This record gives sequence, structure tokens and C-alpha cells, in this order.
Amino acid sequence: MIDIDREPIETDVLIVGGGIAGLMAAINAADRGVSVTIAEKANTERSGSGATGNDHFCCYIPEVHGDDIKPIVKEVQNSLVGGYHDTTHTVKFLEQSFARVKDWDSWGISMKPKGTWEFTGHAFPGRPRVWLKYAGHNQKEVLTKQAKRRGVRVENHLPITDIITNGGEIIGAIGLSVKRERPVVRAIRTKSVILATGSTSRLYPPAGSPGWLFNTAFCPGCTGSGQAIAYRAGAKLVNMEFPNRHAGPKYFARCGKATWIGVYKDPHGKPIGPFVTKPTKELGDITADVWNSVFTDMHKSGRGPAYLDCTETSEEDIEYMMWGLKHEGNTAMLNYMDEEGIDVRKHMVEFMQYEPHLIGRGIEIDLNAESNVGGLYAAGDLVGNFRADIAGAATFGWIAGESAAERAKNITGFQKGEGSAFVEDRAEFYSAILERESGPTWKEANMALQQIMRDYAGVEVRSETLLRAGLKYLRDLRKKVLTTLMADNAHTLMRSLETIDLIECGEMIFLTAMERKETRGLHVRSDFPFTNPLLQDKFITIKQEAGKVQIEQRDRN
Amino acid sequence: MPPIINKEKCNACGICAEICPMDVFGVTDNGDIPVVTYPEECWHCNSCVLDCPEEAISLRVPLPAMMIYVEAGNSSGG
Repeated sequence: MIDIDREPIETDVLIVGGGIAGLMAAINAADRGVSVTIAEKANTERSGSGATGNDHFCCYIPEVHGDDIKPIVKEVQNSLVGGYHDTTHTVKFLEQSFARVKDWDSWGISMKPKGTWEFTGHAFPGRPRVWLKYAGHNQKEVLTKQAKRRGVRVENHLPITDIITNGGEIIGAIGLSVKRERPVVRAIRTKSVILATGSTSRLYPPAGSPGWLFNTAFCPGCTGSGQAIAYRAGAKLVNMEFPNRHAGPKYFARCGKATWIGVYKDPHGKPIGPFVTKPTKELGDITADVWNSVFTDMHKSGRGPAYLDCTETSEEDIEYMMWGLKHEGNTAMLNYMDEEGIDVRKHMVEFMQYEPHLIGRGIEIDLNAESNVGGLYAAGDLVGNFRADIAGAATFGWIAGESAAERAKNITGFQKGEGSAFVEDRAEFYSAILERESGPTWKEANMALQQIMRDYAGVEVRSETLLRAGLKYLRDLRKKVLTTLMADNAHTLMRSLETIDLIECGEMIFLTAMERKETRGLHVRSDFPFTNPLLQDKFITIKQEAGKVQIEQRDRN
Repeated sequence: MPPIINKEKCNACGICAEICPMDVFGVTDNGDIPVVTYPEECWHCNSCVLDCPEEAISLRVPLPAMMIYVEAGNSSGG
């Protein structure tokens, strides 16, 4: 039997995941005088997609943008993060975003590294600019320090695997300590839980290097656990059917595109998009933000490859770009380019569209960041009805921290969740995985999942018959995985549970993709090959109640 | 095998193993030079390189992640 620590952690607020949303939630909750614990799978100093930095922070700064927030709301919703927002959330986010910018700047994350509020990149000529350029290389270190300074308990190497509810309300959670070779199950008693596990990688085969599972743009340790935990606990999720694809340098996926200052060109040196011919740091080339599939389309048409050409960028702007790439956290790529002699002043680098992943698809939250399960909150990339990446995580993380703390203040005493049939059942399930002497490893299961997702819920084509068949295959796979998976230590057990969470996300994708009977964005239905205006502002939600899946449609707020 | 530890320079402080977001080193006992136990799980984030106080780590980018490029103005591969 797996080791179980019988001494539960007691904390008013439990935060699952110590990324940007989790740390900001922790800071604000702790400021409100409650006890706060962050349970983090890795180490908050360097975990998640913001591990080594970021480049842009979406925000509304009245002294830059003017007093009217409406054009900024519109710009955000038309940007690459904006497709599936409840407008109420966009507005609340923008209203509070500048306060978070000022917090970060005062704590030592440089939000105006060049002396002024500088909105460079991700912008169209003649339109408002909503992406503040900042130097994010030290963000995780700074936020961890701020959280610890306020007495937040940081439990590193403790992924949370499930939450415990009683009568539809949160009372605790189950964690799996992976500090040592032998895993240990830990119980947590709590009054509020904030899920902040980030985006979801490893659902689809990496588009560039299918055999290299961790060559992903966003953190490959972020595996949809927040969505899966929420789903199992009865929370409602939204917009799961829409795939999202990031783009950047081909094959080296741990990068992005917005920091690059150049023009996308075909092999003959002809610009591909209409927006810029002479690149500058203010504009760059936004073609890939609006024409998301540009690199794939160029390739498939035979007119590719598509390159990023920086050779007409001024030396001053090249230096700005290299500085930006460093603070964005792309030092591995910069070192590699140095070693290989790749010089953007004379070379064009091929770009590509990466595999689908989930970001801004997942848990439905209200304006207080609360889900439909009492005491369960969510913030950051795993939220389904709002998305603004780092800035969204910071701002809604902050809001979630306040809501979770205020709820906890109204609850006296902790309930005992450990020792319940649910917890014992989970512990037995983990034990069975560890005790098997033969069977598939997590990697086999993960790759099997990826091929089903690619072939039956992919971005090339979806249809009723393909989705229905794929769902059947996915459920067959899940049954096999649950009964035969094998792991030999804490690390591989953690990866095994991640894979099961990914399968859970896959199932939600199949079910909601069947329900959306139209083509919209990257959700391409061959049996409904048009975008239906009547479905434009309709969101599809999914939840489980008493073991039954409920799929509904609602109006966008 | 992405992170490469220079054993001459390593002081066995364990920071790299502690902070790696992907846990590629696995469990490392105090005082031991970390071993890259799960090399294929490296995300190439460079955290270990950045945080090593002895500058003892370098990252070897695997071939499937090699960046591809051409001379500008001559994209036939030359």
C-alpha cells in the first residue's frame, strides 16, 4: 500500500499550482489575514509556463489609453486571446489590470524597463495597443518572495490530485508528495480551493517532433489537472471544444513569436501578410495573430516554407528584440543560436504552428473567480470564459485570492475529509499502479491518447462520425489505462496521474465538439462546414452531476 | 540528454534538481551530484543553467528541436 501521511495539512485557503495566478492569489489571500498554502508540483521559483519569464502584459492604463475603456475592451476581444470571453470578465480584468501592473513594478518586476509604459508588439497599425512590454525574467522569484514574506506556506513537489467535497462544498484535497522516490499521499483540510494549474500541454502529438513529448511551447508539466479535478468534483467547464494553437520557430517549440521583430516572408522574400513591410519594435508583424494557420497553410499549399525575416529590422530594434527574448525567458534558444551561428541579421528562421493545447478553455468562473461548486475557485490559463495569459492570471488570481479568503473567514473549523471512502479509494488506486509488475507506462498511455486526439478530435477535420468513433476509442483507452497502468516511483506515478487527467480533458473535448454543430475557429466540422451566426455568442458548457454528463448551451455574457 | 553537468565545477548543492519544472533529475540526495534521470522530459527552459551558482550546467538541445534557417535572400538552402 502507498504511504499515507496521517497528519493532515490545515489551511484556510489551498492554492493548487504556484504559477502566476496561484502566487497572486496567495499574496492577496494572505493580506486578508487567513492561512494560505500553495501546493506546487515542481518549485514555485521556476514552475509553469512563466518559469523563466514573459514578454507582454495585457492591460488598460488610463494615462496612456484615455478614460474610455470601451475601445480597449474591444481591442482585447479582437486580439489573439479574446475570442471566448464573457465581456463582463474582460471589463473587470481591464479595470483592475493597471493596479496589478503597479504591484509588480513596486515588487521588482520591471514593468517599464525602458522608463515609460511601452506598448510594443502584438499591435495593428492605427489601432489601440493593449500589450505592455515588460521584463519578466524574474517574475516567479519575485512573486514567490512576496508570498513567503506574507507567511504563505509553500509546499513544493506536492501535486494535488483531487479535491474533497461534502454536500457540494469544498472541505479538502488530496496531494501526492513526490519529494522522495517513494510517493506519499497527503490530505489537506481547507475551506476554499483555488485551482491554478495553467494551460494543458501533452494532449496532442507535438506538431514539430511527434516523438518528443516535452518539446512544447507551454509548460509540458501543465496537463489539464485543474480542469480534470474540477470536472470530477462537479464543476462546470466551458469552451472546451475550441482548439488553440501557438506558433513560433519551427521545431524549437519552447518559444513564441510576439517578441520577434521581422516580417513573415515566403521563400522568395515576399511578405506573406498585409500589415508591415518595414518591421519596427512598435508593430512587428502581427499576421500570425490574425491568420493563425499562416505557417501551416503556406506549407500545405506548397508555397512555403514561411520564414521570419529580420534582416530589414534596424540594429537598434534587433538589440531590443534580443533583450526582449532574454526577458521573455528564451535564453536556451539564444544560447543555441549563438552556438550554431544563427544570426537574425542575415538568416531567416522558419516558423511553424504548434500542436493544439488548452488555454482559456476550461473552468467557468463568475466575476469573483468562483465556480459552481461552493468554495472552488479558478484563475489563469485553465479558465474557460476568459483569457489574457499572464495578465489574466495575475488579475483574476488576485480576485480569486480575495474571494477565497473572504469565504474562509465565514467558516469556523475544518471538516475531516481524510479517512473517507473517497480518499481510501484514491490511495488504493495509486497503490495498484505502483504494485503492478507489468503493464503500460504513462508514456505509452500518453502517446496513445495523443494519436486518438489528433485523428478524431484534431484540427484538420471533425465530424459526428469521427468524434463518435474517437470518443469510443478514448473510453476504451481509459478503461485499459485505469486497470493496467504501471509506475515504479513517485515521478512516474505523478506522470501517470497527469495522463489520466489528460484523458479526462480529452473526453470533455469530444463531448463538447460533438455538440457544436458548426465550424468556428479551429473547430472544423466537415458535416457543418460553415460558421453559424446564430451560434456566435453561444457557449457550450459541460459538467457531471450524480455520474451523469450534462451539456448545455448558454448565452455569452 | 539536455542538461549536462560539469562534474568538475558542480558543488552538489542540488539547486538544479530542486527547481527543475520537469523534475528531469529525479530525486537527488544531499551531497550527490545530480543525475539526469529523465532526459526526454526536458523542456529546454534553461532554469538549471540560469540558477546554477557554479555555472556548471549547459544545455544540449536535442536534434528533434533543432532550429532551421536559411540565408536571407537565398532561401534555396545555401
